[in-house]
Amino acid sequence: MFPAPWVRINMTEWLDDFLLRAICAGLIMVVIAAPMGCLMVWQRLAFLSDTLGHAAVLGVGLGLVLQLEPIFGVLAVALVIVFSLSRVSSYNSALSETTLAIISHTGLAGGIILVGLLPGPAVNLEAILFGDLLATTAADLLNLLLTTVLLLVLLVHHWRAFVAVSVSREIAQAEGVEVRRIQFLMYIMIALLVAVMMKVMGVLLIAAMLVIPTTSARLFSRSPEQMVYISGLYGLGALGGGIGSSVHFDWQTGPAIVVSATVLLLLTLAITRLFKPDLD
Amino acid sequence: MVNEAVVEQKGAGELLLRADEISYSQGKRLILDRVSFELRRAQITTIIGPNGAGKSTLTNVVNGLISNYSGSIERSPTLRIGYLPQKVYVNTLMPLSVERLLRLTRQSTAAEIDQALAQSEVAYLRQRQVRSLSEGELKRVLLARTALGKPDLIVLDEPTAGVDVSGELRMYQLIGELRDQLQCAVLLVSHDLHLVMSQTDQVLCLNQHLCCSGLPESVSQHPEYLALFGQQASQSIAVYAHHHDHEHDVSGAMGAHKHD
Repeated sequence: MFPAPWVRINMTEWLDDFLLRAICAGLIMVVIAAPMGCLMVWQRLAFLSDTLGHAAVLGVGLGLVLQLEPIFGVLAVALVIVFSLSRVSSYNSALSETTLAIISHTGLAGGIILVGLLPGPAVNLEAILFGDLLATTAADLLNLLLTTVLLLVLLVHHWRAFVAVSVSREIAQAEGVEVRRIQFLMYIMIALLVAVMMKVMGVLLIAAMLVIPTTSARLFSRSPEQMVYISGLYGLGALGGGIGSSVHFDWQTGPAIVVSATVLLLLTLAITRLFKPDLD
Repeated sequence: MVNEAVVEQKGAGELLLRADEISYSQGKRLILDRVSFELRRAQITTIIGPNGAGKSTLTNVVNGLISNYSGSIERSPTLRIGYLPQKVYVNTLMPLSVERLLRLTRQSTAAEIDQALAQSEVAYLRQRQVRSLSEGELKRVLLARTALGKPDLIVLDEPTAGVDVSGELRMYQLIGELRDQLQCAVLLVSHDLHLVMSQTDQVLCLNQHLCCSGLPESVSQHPEYLALFGQQASQSIAVYAHHHDHEHDVSGAMGAHKHD
């Protein structure tokens, strides 16, 4: 997040190759998307990531207006949203779809207007919406890496509580897990995740990368952790397919990754239906 | 209020929790109105009352899920509470084995898990995925899970919701066995007194305020109880207050004792 000048100098030597940078960024994203995606699917928070993604456009706009790095604008908007949501959402009411939809689309609409008003060269809106993996810079890569390490540390440290809260808030709370605190931490982590994944996947496709590999993995996982690992493998497959088709057929990378993930999901569905007709 | 009231005295009858004049409102609606009671070790306390009487709210005050009540609760300093909610939202999106569910928030040895599951007559479910369990099976697994924490007080909110009638009786027997084995207090919410009659030491008849409380026989003759539940309810107690000589599984499908 705070790329020191020396980092840029040192890293550009071996990260010269845009493809290598893209692959690195993709790999880092897969590593963090697997556990975060699983937690969000378990807690039915996938829609929240979508909301934060859409509203991130507003953050980009604000960042540009205030002449900050866009990622700070995105992070600020995401944090404001999760803070207010955690105030509003009472003890066990799920985040209402209506509220999220309103925030999501207002953020997107406001952001697009703001970006359009900006003077100077036009901002590449397409890169914001659908990502621009192949244009990953060394600084982007460092941001992604640092945030991912931070998120992984938090995940490992609180994993037991995260899983317990996902299984049943009531039981977890009665057994001494600080559910509200864990929930709030989760929201902040999602805000961070969205801010960094935006660069790679684009704001509109973040949720896809969190949900689709996870859904494939769920089809034959037997434990929460297994689901995380298998999601990671599916994420890898999607990344490979996406970057490959992007390079060979000149497809846009973010959308190509999503389509690959869905193809893998459909294949898995077909195979599990054939061989395990009644999987419990 | 008075601290020495919670007497340090082990064994049956030890005072574990004293609730004094508990009131709770949600917005302008008064849900609990100055409810007082005591829970003692190895005693089963049953809360009965009509829908909306505040039964679940009261259990949530006891187990700590609700904290903004007025009045006071004294808990024995080392009180460990096990809680079985009425509706457990089983996360069907997460792959989770029964064994893992039992280990969720605590370390337990394989032997302890085996024993807890066997106690609830669901040892055969150990490797099954939680999302594949029937409602009755899940209730028993959760009962085993609660017992595994060796609680001093077990709070059960309608433990037989979704379980058929013969399974219900067996469930209450299991709760009674658990009380005997763990020497714990039990606070349970039930919609009908007659099913829990033979297992209950103390009945709290609740309709926002405590209508009456005491031994099941005396409560069932109390005018407020009769007003709430009608003459028929009181008579049906006699019909059900007998021992059953055969067993049904909670899920109804399988005699767990005969399972191999």
